Amino acid sequence: MGRLVLHDVSKNFNGFLAVDRLNFEVANGEFVCLLGPSGCGKTTILRLVAGLDTPSAGEIFLDGKKITGVNKECGFVFQEYALFPWRTVRENIEFGPQAKGMPKDELGKISQRYIDLVGLRGFENHYPRDLSGGMKQRVGIARAYANNPKLLLMDEPFGALDAQTRNLMQGELLRIWENEHISALFVTHSVEEAVYLADRVIVMSARPGTVKEVFNISLPRPRVRTSPEANIFRDSILKSLGAEITRAAAIK
Amino acid sequence: MKSNSPGRVLFINVVSLISFLILWHALVILARNDIFNIPFMRLRDVPTPIETWYALTGALFTQTHGPGLTYGIVDHTEASLLRVIQGGIVAFVVGVPVGIGVGYSKLIGNILNPIIEIIRNMPPMAWIPLAIFILVTGGSIFIVFIGMVFPIILNTIHGVKSTDPRLIDAAKTLGASGSKIVTMVVIPSALPSIIAGLRIGLGVGWMAIVAAEMVIRSPIGLGYFIWNMGDLGRYAEMVAGMIVIGVIGYIMNISILLLQKRFVKWVD
Amino acid sequence: MMIDYTKIMKTSFNILLVIILAVFVAGCLESKKTQESIEPINLVKMDGQGAVQRLGTGEIAGFIYWEPYPSTAITKGYGKPLLYSGDIWKEHPCCVIAYNYNWRKNTRNADDILKRVALMQLRSVEYINKAKNSGSPDHEELINFSMEFGGLSDRQTANMSINDVEFVYRNDIPKETTFIERIQDFGIFDPGKWNQSGYKNASDYANSLVTNQYVEWALANKDANLKDVALKEPVTIRYGYLVNDIHELPFYVAWRKGWYSDVGINITLAEGAPFQNGAFEMQKGFKSGTVDIGSLGIPPVIIHRINSNDFSKDDARVGVIAGMNDEGSVIVVANNISSLKDLGGKAVGYPGPGTIQHVLFLMAADKEGLKVSY
Repeated sequence: MGRLVLHDVSKNFNGFLAVDRLNFEVANGEFVCLLGPSGCGKTTILRLVAGLDTPSAGEIFLDGKKITGVNKECGFVFQEYALFPWRTVRENIEFGPQAKGMPKDELGKISQRYIDLVGLRGFENHYPRDLSGGMKQRVGIARAYANNPKLLLMDEPFGALDAQTRNLMQGELLRIWENEHISALFVTHSVEEAVYLADRVIVMSARPGTVKEVFNISLPRPRVRTSPEANIFRDSILKSLGAEITRAAAIK
Repeated sequence: MKSNSPGRVLFINVVSLISFLILWHALVILARNDIFNIPFMRLRDVPTPIETWYALTGALFTQTHGPGLTYGIVDHTEASLLRVIQGGIVAFVVGVPVGIGVGYSKLIGNILNPIIEIIRNMPPMAWIPLAIFILVTGGSIFIVFIGMVFPIILNTIHGVKSTDPRLIDAAKTLGASGSKIVTMVVIPSALPSIIAGLRIGLGVGWMAIVAAEMVIRSPIGLGYFIWNMGDLGRYAEMVAGMIVIGVIGYIMNISILLLQKRFVKWVD
Repeated sequence: MMIDYTKIMKTSFNILLVIILAVFVAGCLESKKTQESIEPINLVKMDGQGAVQRLGTGEIAGFIYWEPYPSTAITKGYGKPLLYSGDIWKEHPCCVIAYNYNWRKNTRNADDILKRVALMQLRSVEYINKAKNSGSPDHEELINFSMEFGGLSDRQTANMSINDVEFVYRNDIPKETTFIERIQDFGIFDPGKWNQSGYKNASDYANSLVTNQYVEWALANKDANLKDVALKEPVTIRYGYLVNDIHELPFYVAWRKGWYSDVGINITLAEGAPFQNGAFEMQKGFKSGTVDIGSLGIPPVIIHRINSNDFSKDDARVGVIAGMNDEGSVIVVANNISSLKDLGGKAVGYPGPGTIQHVLFLMAADKEGLKVSY
């Protein structure tokens, strides 16, 4: 389960077209990266899929169901973590199930499972302010998973981390994703990150955002970041993206 | 020694306090001996710190002289505190929901804002005549309520409005519905502000109760006590009462800060 | 933003419930407090008009005040007299005429002025005592004077008020000594200040406070033509008195009838006069030096000449030259109260601590073995 379909989706903000007749799919269990110049509407697409915003035209389906209102079957991972500062690690992870009224003993089981999965054992009772950026995002990922979503939406989740932590977290994310195998739509700026993580990379055009080109990254995992095959993918994606970045600069 | 080490801070505080007492004592003594007096003041009638101390210890507990029963400062303090607590509970129970409503819902905000904006600019003392003429009983509690409710409302509104919208988005994607967003996100996020409002409110309420007790005459209360002592020409007891009022206000402020530390662990 | 109206209704209902609960709990705490042991009567300071009003609304169970407030409350049907001050202590001294000691020291002909003030009192009292009689040709005039001075709007209340007061001019040193003793018993003196004063006992204090020489001069010149005894150079006196106090009607009569001018004394109102009560007149008037001569209750004089006095300056020192009235205060109570005991645990209005009404009420409670908190 977890098949996402965007059909002719457009989004208008006060007469300003952010996304124009967008069509793409995320297959069940697939990891898709959205790549594009800044301001091309990547975050808008995630918000539309999550139901936090409504499309001006077009339709979005998750497992054949049209999305209207907040989509509670998506797990959203935010760039700035968006953890609840008054909740401990455990309580943050328990937020979704608790909001849905799950009994207390089950809550404990679920949070323990995801604390173990993201490697935060020993930090259960820490408040977010006591955690490093990488650990905070582990909590963000665990919180999204704990809600048992069909689709994971990640908005540059590692954008605020330093390069080393970023590489580490990418590996961790793949490990977790392979364990749970939920469809994922991942927004990033980084071509290298996209090639390392994705089954498919969607390169978007500059504003208004549309699908420019799609790359199937047919490399087996675990991938080696510096392998010749990876380099080939990087080169062709960069070429495709480069033209859009120049255009985006011209628009500005 | 570093200028902000706790020992040094304490040392400076103690020296400052002692200097103040010495200055106070000196001014009174100079005035009593006609050496120096601040114009338009009868400084020589002010009790010295020592006289005030004796008056304080002498007036702490209830005394009887024949049929006359004069309540001790302890009883007066208890009575005033009880009124502040009573008014404060009502102010909290009214102020927090109103603040959440106004801060969270545009409709409620539009309905209540004009009313709040006008009434909050009426100082609590301006309500005293109304309390005297309209209310049969509990006038001073009402004044405390008026003094406390607006700081609580305004700080709650501020807290609710400054809730990080990303946290609300996060809660929505995690499946929280309207009321759950309020109870699980908006209220906890506004809690430090609400407690700050309670702290400011208590300060205002404490000032208001003393003023109210001086005008709305009840048989017991610190405001009543200092006025009574003034009427009897017992200025040392009067000043002792004033100092108690200050100390109690200080203790209330510190208690709320401790409460905040205890219950709002997540903020630095 | 979506608004769930049933939710709001439910929430507001809950809030209302909590408020009611809070008020209830608070009320229980309050009543528990007053129920311990034998309940004392709670004296609560308020102005006279406020006392009348509050008796009417049932906020207080009674009050003790000077006339005309008792008569006003009775005429309006707000309450009934429980005790006249004459029932508490027959012919007790009440208001007196006092002078500022520092004024006397600095005024060359102070003695001559004080003699004539005593004469004014004597003349007024004789006039009033005659005019009190409804058959007297001056009766109407007297009623008008008391309505003006007492701030009254009906003649019945004015008539009732003046009949509750015994107007006098003589001093009664033994009775004033008793007052001092009772004030001592009731613990109202500041002990430190009493020691500083150097008075050996109540009688010593009373004799230093009160002088009869001016009244004696007045008696000797009782029937003199006022113009004949007028001061050679007219003087101006800053006079202090209490607001709407029928006790001090003799002062007003002499002033209104122009007798003061006749003897060469020009009366001006002292700063702050008329005063709210005697404690105020002593502290804000005499002690500040803004009152030269004034009328007020004897207990505030007795108390503040000690408590509020700076003994290095003797700034609150006053002398008493003549009486003003005896009796004239009434304990008025709500209609469901039939004895002083019924007032236990209830609020009773009074002009303030250290006033004659305060001391009289303590004396009344003392007789009945009741406690009074103030």
